[in-house]
Amino acid sequence: MAGEAQCLSYAGCNFLRQRLVLATLSGRPMKIRKIRAREEDPGLRDFEASFIRLIDKVTNGSRIEINQTGTTLYYQPGLLYGGSLEHDCSPTRGIGYYLESLLCLAPFMKHPLKIVLRGVTNDQVDPSVDVLKATALPLLKKFGIDGESLEIKINQRGMPPKGGGEIVFACPVRRVLQPVQLTDPGKIKRIRGTAYSVRVSPQMANRIVESARSILNKFLPDIYIYTDHMKGVSSGKSPGFGLCLTAETVNGTVLSAELASNPQGQGAAVLPEELGQNCAKLLLEEVYRGGCVDSTNQSLALLLMTLGQRDVSKVLLGPLSPYTIEFLRHLRSFFQIMFKIETKAPEEEHMGGEKVLMTCVGIGFSNLSKTIR
Amino acid sequence: FRHTQAKKAEGQCKVKAEDDDVENLLREEDEYEEKIDFSADTIGALKWKEDLAQKAAQAFLRQQRSTPNLRKLVYGTAVEDEDPEGEDAGDELGGLFHVSRPDKASKQKANALDCSKFLIEKPQDWDLEEVMSSIRDCFVTGKWEDGK
Repeated sequence: MAGEAQCLSYAGCNFLRQRLVLATLSGRPMKIRKIRAREEDPGLRDFEASFIRLIDKVTNGSRIEINQTGTTLYYQPGLLYGGSLEHDCSPTRGIGYYLESLLCLAPFMKHPLKIVLRGVTNDQVDPSVDVLKATALPLLKKFGIDGESLEIKINQRGMPPKGGGEIVFACPVRRVLQPVQLTDPGKIKRIRGTAYSVRVSPQMANRIVESARSILNKFLPDIYIYTDHMKGVSSGKSPGFGLCLTAETVNGTVLSAELASNPQGQGAAVLPEELGQNCAKLLLEEVYRGGCVDSTNQSLALLLMTLGQRDVSKVLLGPLSPYTIEFLRHLRSFFQIMFKIETKAPEEEHMGGEKVLMTCVGIGFSNLSKTIR
Repeated sequence: FRHTQAKKAEGQCKVKAEDDDVENLLREEDEYEEKIDFSADTIGALKWKEDLAQKAAQAFLRQQRSTPNLRKLVYGTAVEDEDPEGEDAGDELGGLFHVSRPDKASKQKANALDCSKFLIEKPQDWDLEEVMSSIRDCFVTGKWEDGK
């Protein structure tokens, strides 16, 4: 790709992932300065270093330069290569931190990506693997990325602080993406969920389910929350429990919410009843925000719209998250693409909050490294 | 407004259909008065119309402003985090030492936690009936629009 393109320059460690992902997809070199330059412990953290190593693994010919203090990063992207890989993620962040970016990159690899990720599957900061499995995969399918090989499998669950979880992520490659018209989310027909518990009493999961149901049953009768108690090797290294909930609409939109218990030795113990109720309320908040895409996956949807064929794509979102707003700015600087942003009041009274309609014309990105057979 | 005038006259006809000629005359007078009323009405109506146009224009402008507002919010301030280098050079003591000042809000944002989750700042009280009813129709159990 265009190697002599102008180098983009940023400051600060925030949004590191989206910058690296967009630099890789656009083939533009990039520099980040002042990474925690004023802090007592300056430079890149271990989870960021691990992320950069992961980017280096999935690409071929990338040049990465980091200065001695780790406060400046220069990245010249190579080609997305893919293949069968494995990676040990830092336990300070969830696997979701890494998986989110892989979801953006995987459809554009030369060889289909199949990667084993080890680390923390569920934590309080990042979207968990369960949620990404339930929300991001249906979203990819809408863009024409599907097939049997598209999957996320949780082999072992790992909770912070020690982790010990393991997942497999596989994704087929596509030469072009379909444009989408996601303007009607449809009504929610069912709520599903997973209450998991590792290295604690299996009764915890049942208590979570009861309390979450007590709130959600006021809205819908079709609720099923699976209890998932993993034992032995597959339970990771730290104890914990949590709940992931998804609301599915008749049009195939999936909204999600999740909560996890405090990591061992940090903060007060959380009652499973409380966690179940709070998580159910979070799901109701997400329903209130609404839209055709879950708030965590907004940026993934916008990226796939940008990289689609030269055709109009539309998507109705809930309020834009700060992460998404920054992502839109980055899309403009890397791909020179601006979205048409319109606010839409809900058509009827009892349909939640204000929505945002995003429209763009795809740049006609095609996966050059995929050979046509 | 001729049409409305005719209608009014018609209505009056119905009420006073059985009245005699004297009253008919009176009615004519009434009508005459009404005509004057009407002109006053018309001025009022025009005023109301003027107001409406202004209101519509204001509403339009408000909407126009709110839509690019979101656009401005997203695309308007992208260069903010690119703080100029010269800023640091200013605070020097004796030409040797830099005065280290606590980070400003924008700088903190630049080095904040990189997370895609959209946290809820002010959770609503989902035990309240009115809050619950705000999303009632998002579910299949809620009200459906016609034709679905």
